[in-house]
Amino acid sequence: MPGPEAALEIETAAHGPVRTRVRASGEWTFASLKTRRHDLARRLAELERQPPENLAWDLTAVAQLDDAGAVWLARALRGAQRVEVSPRHRILLNQVGDALGIPAIAAGRVDPLWPVVRIGEAALQFGQHLLDATVRLGLLVIRCVELARRPRDLPLRELSAGIYRSGVTALPVTMLVGFLVGIVLTYLSALQLKRYGADLLVINIVGVGVVRELGPMLASIIAAGRSGSAITAQLGVMRVTEEIEALSVMGVSINVRLILPRVIALAVALPLVTFCTDLAAIGGALLVSRFTLGIAPAAFLEALPRAVEVVNFWIGIGKSVVFGFAVAFVACHFGLRVLPNTESLAAGVTRSVVAAITTVIVLDALFAILLRNVG
Amino acid sequence: MSASAEHVIEIEGLVNTVGAGLVLHHDLNLAVRRDEVMALVGGSGSGKSQLLRVMLGLKPPQAGTVRVFGVSWADPKWKRLRDARRRMGMLFQNGALYSALSVYDNVAFPLRERGGLREDEIRAIVYSKLAQVELDPAHGVLLPANLSGGMVKRVALARALALSPELLVLDEPTAGLDPDRTARFVGLVKRLRTEQRFAVVMVTHDLHPLYELSDRVAVLADRHIIACDTIAAVRRLEHRFVQNFFGPERRRPAGEG
Repeated sequence: MPGPEAALEIETAAHGPVRTRVRASGEWTFASLKTRRHDLARRLAELERQPPENLAWDLTAVAQLDDAGAVWLARALRGAQRVEVSPRHRILLNQVGDALGIPAIAAGRVDPLWPVVRIGEAALQFGQHLLDATVRLGLLVIRCVELARRPRDLPLRELSAGIYRSGVTALPVTMLVGFLVGIVLTYLSALQLKRYGADLLVINIVGVGVVRELGPMLASIIAAGRSGSAITAQLGVMRVTEEIEALSVMGVSINVRLILPRVIALAVALPLVTFCTDLAAIGGALLVSRFTLGIAPAAFLEALPRAVEVVNFWIGIGKSVVFGFAVAFVACHFGLRVLPNTESLAAGVTRSVVAAITTVIVLDALFAILLRNVG
Repeated sequence: MSASAEHVIEIEGLVNTVGAGLVLHHDLNLAVRRDEVMALVGGSGSGKSQLLRVMLGLKPPQAGTVRVFGVSWADPKWKRLRDARRRMGMLFQNGALYSALSVYDNVAFPLRERGGLREDEIRAIVYSKLAQVELDPAHGVLLPANLSGGMVKRVALARALALSPELLVLDEPTAGLDPDRTARFVGLVKRLRTEQRFAVVMVTHDLHPLYELSDRVAVLADRHIIACDTIAAVRRLEHRFVQNFFGPERRRPAGEG
């Protein structure tokens, strides 16, 4: 379908008011100009340098004109007084000509103090997050108290679905990781302990380490990556599709319907997941002890309760209740702050996972200090 | 030349299924001429949107051919397909603006993707497109989330027109607009069409754009196009859907020329 090619004829007269007559013809469209663009651009640029009153333009032979062609012509036409053109093309040329005169949006000047400003903004933002989270936590507690008085309002269906989603489906991956970490930890400690002939201490190290620290930690980090990101993404998309607004308009409490079930579900599910992770890690330890240290499984299991006090187990389980609550709460907090656009959704999910893991580690450090004399 | 010189879209013997083999279209034929506005109407569930998806090459048909600018969507040469795609613009029902990009960047997006233009040339085209849809250069910095429904439609139209398409596809262009906005949007498309002479395929439920814009109306019912003619001719059909759609109680609003 290509028609006649775009062409530019330039006639120069020696005398008279009009020195140069320019005649454009053919298809001035992006597709047909693509190949000949440099040649035409050079000749148009030459014409731009001439005083516009010396030029007479005849564009009546232009068969087709699109925006790209119009931009190239309009730039050369600026200031020209004698222009013959069909009415249809004149509209386009005028529009593009006007648009050519609009300056680009000036990029903001770089503030020399930007690092300071950035740090200040980050600090303010952090404070705002803390404030919002505190308010939300307070509301959640009030709702919990109200629900405790009227337990029939508890969204049981959402709760059980949440426990299944964040607990049962997380078991395979969490237990696999626990098993592998149990193997690695036992193997590394065994290598060191063998040198001092303190082989049996491996049960103490692995037992306390897994049950008190690593079990809850592993489970909650995986929960932050799995369930936390899912919660943030789900709430974020609900914001994008205005489902959250729809709930508010119906008078349904977002705290009761959306946040509470998720937070309680993870707080219930995570200790259970932690328990299974503990089992898997100790299973790994059992296996390595048998083959590298020659400790029989029966002996290992007999020594375990003596080496690890039961209180360590309960500390681990208690911590994972708090971690589960924290992960789900942080995820909900970031999910509800997502703005209705895709970029904000992606940023929200990233921040949610990072913040959840950081919160878990900070809480763990707090627990370590508070419970240093126990167990 | 072949029929493709006068037709922008040719659909022959189309068979289209949805879900587990439910036949939505059977032996469907449709040809859209250059320089015409073709409206596609049909009852709810008749598969208008599905037909549009097939037309746009978003969904391969079960059987039959769909050619756009003479290029079949089954063509193995991706460059030919890409060039055909660049000759058409699409206005999605909800705008489908990129939410992370500003109005300016949304309209500039297809121009930048095509390449071959300098940034100042792109700027001139973007601002002239915004002016064409009656938006101010100052609106360029806004994000789609800050726009009203009518503005989203106009920005989406500017983006659809960015590459000076020869075919514009409109999916429910006036859905969700009030009558005044509808009239203005229809007037806008009408004016742009006289300036730029592109063909239009539009799916609509709204009688106003149907009467104001369309040259021909294709009626989709009973799994194929039962009629494709001027409104006056289509209205005389005895078919139940046509009688309900144009029926006596939905007469053309008074006071329109």
